[in-house]
Amino acid sequence: MFGLEAIIAHDGLSISVIGLSIVFVCLILLSFSVSRIHKLIELWDKKDQKTPPVSGLTVLETVPQDVQRTSRQFKLLIEWIGEPFPLPKLLDLSEKCGLSRPHSTINEFIKCELIIPAENGYYVWNKQVEEKRNGS
Amino acid sequence: MSADIQTLKSLDLFADLNFGELEQIAPSMHLMKVTEGEVLTRRGEPARTFFIILSGNFMLSFKDERSFTLHNKGNIIGWSTVITPFWYKGTTTALTDGMVLSMHGQEFLNLIQSNSAIGDKIMRKINKIVSERMPYITGTLEKEA
Repeated sequence: MFGLEAIIAHDGLSISVIGLSIVFVCLILLSFSVSRIHKLIELWDKKDQKTPPVSGLTVLETVPQDVQRTSRQFKLLIEWIGEPFPLPKLLDLSEKCGLSRPHSTINEFIKCELIIPAENGYYVWNKQVEEKRNGS
Repeated sequence: MSADIQTLKSLDLFADLNFGELEQIAPSMHLMKVTEGEVLTRRGEPARTFFIILSGNFMLSFKDERSFTLHNKGNIIGWSTVITPFWYKGTTTALTDGMVLSMHGQEFLNLIQSNSAIGDKIMRKINKIVSERMPYITGTLEKEA
């Protein structure tokens, strides 16, 4: 007995159908879990937000959590520009990179003193505030 | 909408003006809403409008991308409307939504030139602001520091 006849005789067709089904179900489950990853990240971030601020770090208390998150992206841009950096250049670059509401975000950084003016009309990233933030 | 006398009186630029003088200015000053990212002045363009901040946050940028930010009520933008060569020295960008008082530059200049009492009081304040901002325009900040 050979070929299709042998496959039919040994339930080859049903086995291959089951095999295909298993593979496709696994692929569907995998793609579904990948599509939910951003929800998991949001939950993780929210968990971080609920962490009470360390007492004594007054600067941290004034830095809104969403600003703390966005600061990572802006910090990368500042590192790329180099310090001291021109504020308009940071604004321009953040707009080109499609960062959300760069004007008000930069304003928040200035108010939180994460970005502080240098003496020559340019600005620097305030490492002291960042170190306190990372230390929490 | 024109500005009321009480609002004008609360601004540092007009603090020395009496009621009668404020009454002369009020009809020319108009309330204006500003949205985040809006550009109020552009460096090198003719200075046509003078602004006073009521609320909001603004960035003034100059040659070589030197800049500073304004966050307080009463800060002024566009003093070039009353000082030769009547070109804006910097670009003003709103960092947040806000409210400003605006006045047509020519009207402001006429007021200052036609009334010596008002002109003297206002120009004294403006000259002080100009001297504070001039290092950003000329790029002499490092030398001063």
